Amino acid sequence: MTDLEARLVRCLQTVFPALAEDQAREASQDTVSAWDSVAMLTLLTVVEEEFGITADYDRVEEFTSFSGLLGYLREHNLA
Amino acid sequence: MKLTEALRLLQAAPNAPLWRADLVCGFTPLHFATWLHAHLQQRLPARRVGLHTGLFGDWAGNLERAAAARPAAIVAVLEWEDIDPRLGPRQLGGWLSAQRVDIETSAAQRLAQFTVQLGQAAAQAPVTIALPTLPLPPAAHTTPLQMSVWEANLRALLAQFSAQWSQIPGVFLLSSQWVDELSPAATRFDPASCLQTGFPYAKPHAELLASALASLAVPPPPKKGIITDLDDTLWSGIAGEAGPDGVHWDLEHHAQPHGLYQQLLASLAESGVLVAVASKNEPEVVRQVFARPGMCLPAASVFPFQVHWNPKSQSVEAILKAWNIGADSVVFIDDSPMEAAEVAAAFPEIETIRFPTGDARAVWQLLHHLRARFGKSTISEEDRIRSASLRQAAPAVSTDPEAFLAGAEARLEFHFSPGLTDPRPLELINKTNQFNLNGRRLTEDDWRGYLRTPGHFAAVVGYSDKYGPLGKIAVLAGRAEAGELHLDSWVLSCRAFSRRIEHLTLAVLFERFGASAITFDAQATERNQPMRQLWTDLSLPFSPAARLERDAFAALCPALPHQKEIFD
Repeated sequence: MTDLEARLVRCLQTVFPALAEDQAREASQDTVSAWDSVAMLTLLTVVEEEFGITADYDRVEEFTSFSGLLGYLREHNLA
Repeated sequence: MKLTEALRLLQAAPNAPLWRADLVCGFTPLHFATWLHAHLQQRLPARRVGLHTGLFGDWAGNLERAAAARPAAIVAVLEWEDIDPRLGPRQLGGWLSAQRVDIETSAAQRLAQFTVQLGQAAAQAPVTIALPTLPLPPAAHTTPLQMSVWEANLRALLAQFSAQWSQIPGVFLLSSQWVDELSPAATRFDPASCLQTGFPYAKPHAELLASALASLAVPPPPKKGIITDLDDTLWSGIAGEAGPDGVHWDLEHHAQPHGLYQQLLASLAESGVLVAVASKNEPEVVRQVFARPGMCLPAASVFPFQVHWNPKSQSVEAILKAWNIGADSVVFIDDSPMEAAEVAAAFPEIETIRFPTGDARAVWQLLHHLRARFGKSTISEEDRIRSASLRQAAPAVSTDPEAFLAGAEARLEFHFSPGLTDPRPLELINKTNQFNLNGRRLTEDDWRGYLRTPGHFAAVVGYSDKYGPLGKIAVLAGRAEAGELHLDSWVLSCRAFSRRIEHLTLAVLFERFGASAITFDAQATERNQPMRQLWTDLSLPFSPAARLERDAFAALCPALPHQKEIFD
């Protein structure tokens, strides 16, 4: 697991503390029942704080899974 | 605090008794609720804070429901759109002149309604409230530079009603000035977030507001005493060199910051803060300076004066003894870093501050800092007379105890139905260290709950003698069970030591309840040695197993020359 992935896992575990590491890496709105619209905004703020970015909220539909968030962060050269 | 930190702090909350708080707002609480929750949890590490939120857009209904739940605290955040939805960006109700007039009318009605509701809510739980922090919309015809009649009227309405709210017991208003100083007005509002999610705050503003409200809802205990230096601190100049008339604290002599400092100390003294002087000086010179007209801090507000050439730490030691309080409740101020360091070395618990002579801005900040350290929500009668009663108590120490007690004309009042809104009992329980049965601190919620429990009783004890009143000086709380009494809390102000009040209290309890024995939730703390001394006098172990039989107490009880009066 890359450092970027590990940091993103920690973000998900901060918002969804019940997730184990492997569950976090597979997590999405479909697999985590607590991942509602409020949790989404909380998660994005935690990600913003962790990576020092401002998320583009117009692309929020891409942020509904670990992999989507990871792709967005990689776009920002945060690998 | 970052949101990440807030979430982790909440996840690490202890599995402890619940402390419920209700957040009343009209917006989607989102991160504000998380930050408020975390800041409350941070201030209550021995409790598990539960935060309840209400419905979107229903400020009045949320307040009503919060009050009905009788939480430990209600934290309310009011914004303009709660006063009239047309004042927020999510309603298109119109900003035409006729509509603006209607907004004014409905705002007056709404604020009047909130006034009634706040009174009712505060009877159930303390209410901490923030007034609108977001801007009014550009609804009036004037440029943003010019305050319109409409805006002025709305602000006047809010000022008028908030003045009423500030006078409701149990309602605590967050200072708008404080928020203005720390949160730039232009960056508080997040229109995009408000329109997309109903959450109107920029994150830094939300975090600051949450932190401030949590601090107001669960304030740290105020400091009790301030020890000040004189030369280049209370006044500008060295009195011993320039002479009593050669030191200054006014504009004419470019010494106004010292006058402001004096003013603040006088104000603190009036609110019950103990003020003492520790100065390396000639006593007569100091006496003459204090006798000068225009001195903003009267000598009568200071007790004691420690003016000599010995180390400052000796002065501090003598002052702490005279005050009978712990060093951790005291702030020491001196312009000399060396003196401050000497005191800090001897009393690490004391907060030592260097007086920033010659730096007006830093002095101004110091005044705010001191107000923050010593500020209190209400001033009790005990606060007003504290310094005078200490002065009176001083000669009693050297008098023969029997003769002093017999001639003191001591009179005690035992009030067995303390009012729920009287802050003094809780203040005593939470501030008293030395004569304290177990050091247990209670929240307002704990106290209210205790008093409401069937079988529980509490008493507040007032004291006066020929030297003057000491006010309410003791609180006890317990329960009567099967012909015996059990005391859960018992505190006595250090100002009332050595008067056998504790013996009389036990005698009154045996008499009033006809109890055969009293048991105590006695637990040693670092500082309750004076309480333990009573147990030694009564030949009892200081432990939860201690049991005082009525007959044994009668045999050991010394003479009690006090007059007493019982109130139910």
